[in-house]
Amino acid sequence: MKRLAFALALALPLTAQVKLPPYTREVLPNGVVTYYMQRTGLPLVSFRVLVKGGVESDHPMVAGISSVTAELLRRGTAQHTAEQFNEELDGLGGTFGAGAGDDSTSISAEFLKKDFDRGLALVAEAVLHPSFPEDEIHKAVARRVDGVKSAKDNPGAAINPFYRSFFFGAAHPYGHPADEASYDRIRKEDLVDYHEQMYVGHNLIVIVAGDFDPVAAKARVAATFGAARAGNAYAWAAEQPVFDKGPRVLLVDKPDATQTYFIIAQPGVRRTTPDRVPLNLLNTLFGGRFTSMLNDELRVNSGLTYGAGSSVQMSRLTGAIFISTYTKTETTAKAIDLALDVLKRFHDKGITAEQLASAKAYVKGTLPPRTIQTADQIANVLGEMELYGLGRDEVDQFFARVDAVTLEQANAAVRRYYGTDNLTFVLLGNAAKIRDVAAKYGPKVMERPARTPGWTAM
Amino acid sequence: MRTVIGALLLSSLVFAQQDIRTQTLANGMKVIVQEDHGIPNVAMYFFYRIGSRNEHPGATGVSHFFEHMMFNGAKKYGPKEFDRHMEMNGGNNNAYTTQNDTVYTDWFPSAALEMMFDMEADRIRDLSFDPKMIESERGVVYSERRTSVDNNNFGVLNELAVAAAFVAHPYHWPVVGWPSDIESWSMEDLKSHWSMGYAPNNCTLVIVGDVRWDNVLELSKKYLEPIPRREPPPPVRTKEPEQLGERRVTVSKTAQLPIQMVLYHVPATNSPDTPVLEVISTLLSFGQSSRLYKRLVDGQLAISAGGGVGDSLDPTLFRFTIQPRSGVDTASTEKALFEELARLGTEPVSDAELRKAKNQLLANFYRQLKTIEGRANLLGSYEVFHGDYAKLYSADKETEAVTAADIQRVARQYFSPKNRTVATLVPEKPEVKQ
Repeated sequence: MKRLAFALALALPLTAQVKLPPYTREVLPNGVVTYYMQRTGLPLVSFRVLVKGGVESDHPMVAGISSVTAELLRRGTAQHTAEQFNEELDGLGGTFGAGAGDDSTSISAEFLKKDFDRGLALVAEAVLHPSFPEDEIHKAVARRVDGVKSAKDNPGAAINPFYRSFFFGAAHPYGHPADEASYDRIRKEDLVDYHEQMYVGHNLIVIVAGDFDPVAAKARVAATFGAARAGNAYAWAAEQPVFDKGPRVLLVDKPDATQTYFIIAQPGVRRTTPDRVPLNLLNTLFGGRFTSMLNDELRVNSGLTYGAGSSVQMSRLTGAIFISTYTKTETTAKAIDLALDVLKRFHDKGITAEQLASAKAYVKGTLPPRTIQTADQIANVLGEMELYGLGRDEVDQFFARVDAVTLEQANAAVRRYYGTDNLTFVLLGNAAKIRDVAAKYGPKVMERPARTPGWTAM
Repeated sequence: MRTVIGALLLSSLVFAQQDIRTQTLANGMKVIVQEDHGIPNVAMYFFYRIGSRNEHPGATGVSHFFEHMMFNGAKKYGPKEFDRHMEMNGGNNNAYTTQNDTVYTDWFPSAALEMMFDMEADRIRDLSFDPKMIESERGVVYSERRTSVDNNNFGVLNELAVAAAFVAHPYHWPVVGWPSDIESWSMEDLKSHWSMGYAPNNCTLVIVGDVRWDNVLELSKKYLEPIPRREPPPPVRTKEPEQLGERRVTVSKTAQLPIQMVLYHVPATNSPDTPVLEVISTLLSFGQSSRLYKRLVDGQLAISAGGGVGDSLDPTLFRFTIQPRSGVDTASTEKALFEELARLGTEPVSDAELRKAKNQLLANFYRQLKTIEGRANLLGSYEVFHGDYAKLYSADKETEAVTAADIQRVARQYFSPKNRTVATLVPEKPEVKQ
């Protein structure tokens, strides 16, 4: 038994470095960056298209325009009505999804190998030639306004936009999440302009992954996406300051809530930070897995919550590092205090060599199933590499980079990134019962109801 | 007829080439293995045939609570050790409980295989019941309930709708358990649950990934086979009586938008009508060309609408969920749904629409096979709910065989007013505060 325990404490032998399969990258004359990655075994092919910009490119007055544009790509095109498009897509058993993230709009579709040409033609037509019919715009916007109201009925869904709005502030590209009014202001000319400016050759990345004939595929991509207007690449926003003069508190009142949802945030990093590997390891230990410090204290040891965790936002601009969890109304103070206690301990004491070794094994062991297992996962990785200007070493050298992180480096990163002073608190719950609790965490508490329009603190 | 997804695809490419091996151990545990060396990882799934249908009033939710306790220490690996060892070796895990089964899902690098056998055998055989861990875990489960039910309008409505649809059968109560039962589960409840269902002969183990069959067999014999066989849970005797008329449930809750759920009794998964119900579900709900999307969402009555049926050992429910748009009377959303269901019974589905639904079903089935975890889950689910994983091989043929007449017959048989429960969440404005 001792021997076994000893062997386990050393951790089992690790698997060799995993690598991305071979792929090719070509830039078409109109600026479209294309990738081809072949993988046989399942007769499926994935198409992934990225349009640079995403939420960052939303004008605050029409926040959500990148998402609404994505939603409407298939709802009427030069050649198809929405109904015709849907009949054809569904008839092929294909999938088509489109949505906006912080830095890009992504369109993902999957078809059977034998339907390559028709599938690609549908995707290209939706991406390059949507017609934005008035009635489809009206319907999409009206549903989205209702979707915001529905989200506000659900505290688990509502906490995030309230937090983003408060943490980043309206002047920041990440600080004006789409709301009832911004959706309502979106007009056809806004969508047409946005599409004309953003969905152009120099601003597109097209990835083909799966089982296909590469020669024929390249010809089809050249004939479709290669024909897009070249245009100009999106001009990325300048780096914006992130609030660092805390603490400050927002309390969002949902009188019927029996649980308080809270987020504790502080300034973080950009996606391309040289510290991204150490931070991956640190977040794993702090709040990124089941045995993490936060989950261990708030769930396993105390039973205060079903789950507590932390995230390091990995967007193009400096984002946030934040704790998020929930607990029953009566234990709100206890849970927040415990989370802060875990943060303080982490900041003061850092991590041990044993913890670092465990985190390294974890991030390496969990990488293959979610990164290189399927063609669409690989397409996702290739898209990120291109979007953020990262190389294939992001995967191919990942294990080596993880192994190279020393305890000193890791602990320096803890001290640098996991502060205890400039914190932003967002609490969503029954304000009548937790108003006094909220007041403990900052000199002034902003308060707003959950159900009224908008996400701002007011 | 333009795009028939060949029936040969599933069986020939994905399963037959990559051999599936099985063996039943001397203690009755069945082991199903598919080698796949695409990535250096393994999906190891334990399917126990015990769930909330095996519970009794007063101890509802105990299957799910037990699932949580399986991570709280056994004889050799004490509290927290299962997760700690797993994560320090590059693995992670989860588990889920349904009305019918409890499933433990482990994902890890192949080097950790023997350790996983050791840890799983330890907790199956020698789970410890530490009173301190029980109390702390009770809080965790109560928080899970608050999140998924009490503070989630869909969760609240679903729980009460199902409770109304089943008056006698154990599907009446929620998997997570009634609040008062969560507060009062005892050590004895946990122990009797364990001795009722956690027998090797009541479990199927599925392993898919970077393993060798010989090695898996050897480890299974070493770690799992010595665990003694026991009586499986007693049969669930109560049968739900036939529903004799429409039932209505109303929930008044603070909200901006209403929600509607409509439930119909349908047979268990092993019924020959299941493939027909799956085609119906696809026709109605899958994709933007589906009937309910077009009628309700595109028709501006609702922001979402859809329905389907899940795996089940006993007769179950076909559930529709609609979130009407603000200002839309819920009478008009339910009327639209009822009309669509009636149309299924009166008008034969066209060849083209039927073809489309079958293509969608087959392509989606296929997509579940892309990952080792997807295949592990599918193999185990077929073993539990269809009685044999090998029925997977004929799944495509069964879908292919569904006719327009089958759809009319099945729709008329089950989607009748007498057989339905209609539940509506009616928004209440919050009280005005001073």
